[in-house]
Amino acid sequence: MATETPLPDEFDVVAVYHRLLANDHDLTMPVAAIEALVEAMATSSTQTVSETMRNLEKHTNTLKSSVANPISLSAGTDLFQRYLVTTLNRPSAGVASPSGAGDFDAIRNHLLSNGRLFAERAKASRNKIASFGRNLVRDGATVLTNGGSRVVAALLRSVAETGSVRFKVVYVLDSDADSQEGEWSGTAIVAMLRARGIPVATIPDSAVAYSLGKIDIVIVGAEGVVENGGIISRLGTYQIGLLAKAKQKPFYVVAESHKFVKLFPLNQYDLPIKQRILDFKVGKEGELVSTENESQGGYTVEDEGVDFSDSGVSEGKTRRKCSGSSEDPVDYTPPNLISGILTESGVLTPSAVSEELIKIWF
Amino acid sequence: MSRSTTIQAPGLSSYLKSLRSTPVEASIEHFISLLKRRQIRNSRPCALATTQLLIQVVKEFKGKDADKLLRRIRDVGRRLIAAQPREMVVGNIVRRVLGLIREIKDDDADADSNAVNSDAGSPTPHHDSLNRPHLASSISTFSPLRHGALPPMDTTSGPESLADSGELPHRPALFSSHTSYAPLGTSLFGLFSQPDTPSNTSTPTGRHSPTGKHTMTASALERIGESTILKRTNIKAEVLEGMNELQDELEQSDDQIAANALDHIHSNEIILTHTASTSVQKFLLAAAKKRKFTVVHAEAHPNDHDAVHATILTGKKRDAEVISEEAGDRWKPLTAAGITVVLIPDSHVFAIMARVNKVILATHSVLANGGLVAAAGARVIASAAKVHRTPVVVVTGVYKLSPVYPFDIDELIEYGDAGNVVPYDDGDFVDKVDVDNPLYDYVPPELVDLYVTNLGGHAPSYLYRIVADHYHPDDINLSGAVERDEK
Repeated sequence: MATETPLPDEFDVVAVYHRLLANDHDLTMPVAAIEALVEAMATSSTQTVSETMRNLEKHTNTLKSSVANPISLSAGTDLFQRYLVTTLNRPSAGVASPSGAGDFDAIRNHLLSNGRLFAERAKASRNKIASFGRNLVRDGATVLTNGGSRVVAALLRSVAETGSVRFKVVYVLDSDADSQEGEWSGTAIVAMLRARGIPVATIPDSAVAYSLGKIDIVIVGAEGVVENGGIISRLGTYQIGLLAKAKQKPFYVVAESHKFVKLFPLNQYDLPIKQRILDFKVGKEGELVSTENESQGGYTVEDEGVDFSDSGVSEGKTRRKCSGSSEDPVDYTPPNLISGILTESGVLTPSAVSEELIKIWF
Repeated sequence: MSRSTTIQAPGLSSYLKSLRSTPVEASIEHFISLLKRRQIRNSRPCALATTQLLIQVVKEFKGKDADKLLRRIRDVGRRLIAAQPREMVVGNIVRRVLGLIREIKDDDADADSNAVNSDAGSPTPHHDSLNRPHLASSISTFSPLRHGALPPMDTTSGPESLADSGELPHRPALFSSHTSYAPLGTSLFGLFSQPDTPSNTSTPTGRHSPTGKHTMTASALERIGESTILKRTNIKAEVLEGMNELQDELEQSDDQIAANALDHIHSNEIILTHTASTSVQKFLLAAAKKRKFTVVHAEAHPNDHDAVHATILTGKKRDAEVISEEAGDRWKPLTAAGITVVLIPDSHVFAIMARVNKVILATHSVLANGGLVAAAGARVIASAAKVHRTPVVVVTGVYKLSPVYPFDIDELIEYGDAGNVVPYDDGDFVDKVDVDNPLYDYVPPELVDLYVTNLGGHAPSYLYRIVADHYHPDDINLSGAVERDEK
């Protein structure tokens, strides 16, 4: 990065990204990232391929480092980068564009002139997924879902609007994460469904196992779908997946295919993000005295993982919020817990995801 | 089954015989009524009849337009599927034929643009005959036909196809030229694809824009016109050729599956199987030529036990019409090959499972998620096998593999004649008790270890790939595809 020449006009890709997200609540992070990069391309006056790629990489890195959890975002930037690389590498097909330079301009023009189209396509694919929902949610079914996923909301809404399917929803609402306002927060989705006459029950994370006996199908959204077919999703999805598996309930993920991300997490702690969910602490000198009896036998650690003290609880709350702008903590749900991934091109088995990714990367 | 005045009840063989002499429309109606009356049932007879009927439909088809042929086949297909939706093989065959037509259409388009691009006039007929045979029988990842069968691939297989197209001008990259129906967003690059509206010349070449689009200069158009007409004339012949291969595949699939038998059955093993399936019987017989093992046969009461008994005794089902057409000598029972066969009632499956080395199941149809619909009792066996950690091998022809995703499992299960369970003359009983006779079981993919098809062995999680290789995404939902066409 040291060799990199500073841009003549310093384009603030992060600001554009956040503006795009703020202006359009329907926009997902990967698509916003793509659009931001397209705008970055528009402002720069690069002429060569390598210059563009370098420029792009720089913006991508800025963008990634600006958010606490860049997984979802990187799905978009990776896709964009791969698209450019594969298109630019393709030898011009004879007649139309004899020189590589022509191709480059052509692709650049295509991207710049169609920037807005990508977002619309992304929304179109969400609607497409929603239209599959009718197959998923059967008459009389009870659906368990969590989080503030736009796709899940669109899907449930589309089923609700058919009018012919009577179904109930159990919505796992995390009081901390969902207290934020917004069109796509969990509470808003619950209100939206209730307004359409769908009976919705809201439960806390802790009631999932209790409720599962009444559930026919679990549908969750995802922030990113990783290479082995697992998903990165809001904290709590993994345990829902585990419970659904234990109870033999079908566990479906709905996600647009632009959320596929080249990442192969081996376990929960193998994600390329910093999350301070497990925050081990020991008490201060004074507190130790009060719990002296328990901490005998050489144990100096007072609590294994969980803070029971008052200060701990309040810290826990703030920790979730402050772990990075407005991002929620996430976990990784491995593919063996997932029955199917519903994308705009149909239901994929988790193992089909790697193939889709391999197709664009290799 | 209604007895006609002739000795034989209407069924597959009489239907196949009547096909040649009957007008197509009457044949379609006849087949629909046979399907509805269950006089043609089970996968293989349905597949054979559908193929034969569609061959007649193609033969009768007058136009030269591939799109019209597609629509015609789809219309016929939809009527057949509506007649008996649970015989999923009918839909599979229809989709295979549709895929075949699409592919030939694409080949034409490719050949055209190729001829224009290279001005070399590559030997297209040669290229067709070279590649087409692979269609049904090969899923090699490097087969160019993979791209034809699977549009999601074509737009993204960039580097690989480039390497290929260097040596072979007519190879993969060309297959990307079905913009006319390429579904939106089937690949990850879908987001970036060109707008659907025809772009003007200043619009750049996206990957999705095939070579054809921007070569449409006036002179090129003329040449395309010529070659298109030339090609279109024999589209029917090509489709028929492909369908004959499909027919061959149906006939040979059991033997191809049986060729794998020695890999799966070892000496002195105890094999448990269920129902009287020709595929399984051939599979076991192939292994019996070289090895000695024991077969435990669950009898599949009350729907299939007669056929099971007959198979054990004579090697073939008593009423099997299809088989009677083939040479009788090849059918000998397993016992004649020196195999010990133990017949058990279905209720003994769990008890005996502890001693079984391998379970070999036949199937009615296989679904896109890796699950299968098989004769009732299959799930009991698969579950028992799971408990005992006994491997479950499912033997099936690829033609039984359906691209349908099982959203609602109850829909797949057909209920049969309750009289098989309790005879109707037992009036007292029938009056007081509800009797159900489900014909099929759904076996989820977790309970299956391996599928052995005519293409080889596959894990259940790999089946999605074979589905993608054999069916065009636009054909999966046959009723939906029409709407899109009409737009």
